[in-house]
Amino acid sequence: MASATVPERERPPRDPLVPADEAGAPATPGAAAADPDVALMLRVQEGDQAAFQELFRKLSPRVLQYTRRFVGSDALAEEVTQDVFVQIFRFRHRYRPQSRLSTWVFTIATNLCLNELRRPERHLRVDLWERRDAEERHEGPQLPDPDAVTPEAGAAGRELARQLEVAVGALPPKQRAALLLSRVDGLAYRDVAESLGCTEGAVKALLFRATQTLKKNLRDFL
Amino acid sequence: MRCGRAQKHMTAAVDGELGPRQRGALDRHLAGCDPCRRELAATERTLRALDALPMERAVSDGLEQTTLRRVRLAAAEEEERAHRRWRLWLPIPAFAVATVAVLVLAVGILTRTGEAPAPRAVASAPLKPSAERLARAQPAPPTRRPRAEARQAVEPPAEPPAELAAAPDLFMNLPILKNMERLEHFEAIQTTTLDDETPSGQAEPSSG
Repeated sequence: MASATVPERERPPRDPLVPADEAGAPATPGAAAADPDVALMLRVQEGDQAAFQELFRKLSPRVLQYTRRFVGSDALAEEVTQDVFVQIFRFRHRYRPQSRLSTWVFTIATNLCLNELRRPERHLRVDLWERRDAEERHEGPQLPDPDAVTPEAGAAGRELARQLEVAVGALPPKQRAALLLSRVDGLAYRDVAESLGCTEGAVKALLFRATQTLKKNLRDFL
Repeated sequence: MRCGRAQKHMTAAVDGELGPRQRGALDRHLAGCDPCRRELAATERTLRALDALPMERAVSDGLEQTTLRRVRLAAAEEEERAHRRWRLWLPIPAFAVATVAVLVLAVGILTRTGEAPAPRAVASAPLKPSAERLARAQPAPPTRRPRAEARQAVEPPAEPPAELAAAPDLFMNLPILKNMERLEHFEAIQTTTLDDETPSGQAEPSSG
């Protein structure tokens, strides 16, 4: 029988001295400077090009994965990632250290992805998965997942991950954005709401609908 | 709490985003509802599977180089735009300074012109007779007048002041009247001062 209490996902510990509505955001400039990402961004604001390169190397893998899952295409994700960092540079003076850098960066990424999906010439074709199939064919036999207990479990895990990515790619853009943002870097619902420009209640509703759809589509794999 | 509401809270509960009151209500509901416990387990498995997906993807050197090149271009554009803005605004202070200088000059010239009343020229002529008459003939000490009034004052009087009419010898002392005969010979006037005391034969006009 399952436990009656709700298991919680691990999140970064919140500062108990910071009010709940301010948790996750550096409350003071001193606290902001202590955050290495914020310190890096402050250097970028001062025109330090090396700091920008460092910032790119630090954040781009996450941004690329996020945009790839969002737009469903490797090539398009690379274009959007470029745009994200160009926008970060152009609007670097608009960043305020009071909010987390990742919230600001993923807000830009989300907006650019949504713009990309809204383009009239774009047909919502998810080619990511076809491409992966092709890659797999060229790569030869799959290596077993080192984390898997048995080869069968490893194959099942890979299949689940693949199906999960397909299911996420099929979600409506807003639900997809909320779901992906809530999984990135432990963004709190408050940060997700800030990124999407909506309320926390709306985020909860989006996530509920997204999770219901995923559960339905992945019933055979979970 | 009913099953529908409990299910709506499940995602937030697994993510630790549920308030303590709602969390307690959900826990109480789950304690007595087997289908909701199964649903919660499925929600948890789904979210765990999502969390297990890699959150990062290797970035190629090509992508890094292309992005950094675009950023350098953006920086150069930004700099160029800042320079252009500076060049655009630079003539404005220069024009303002020039305008102010011209205005100051114009005001200065107009003020000077307005302060030169004609009667003073007449009054400043040497007066020989009594000091009383001299005192009466002299105008009031120069004061700043409105410009229209000053311009009116420049107009020569139609009649000489009564004091001067009564004493024509005052006119005779004017150098211009002493040299009146020389006015007939314009060319000579050009080269001769009115106070010139040289004999008239030396300053005879060449034509006439």
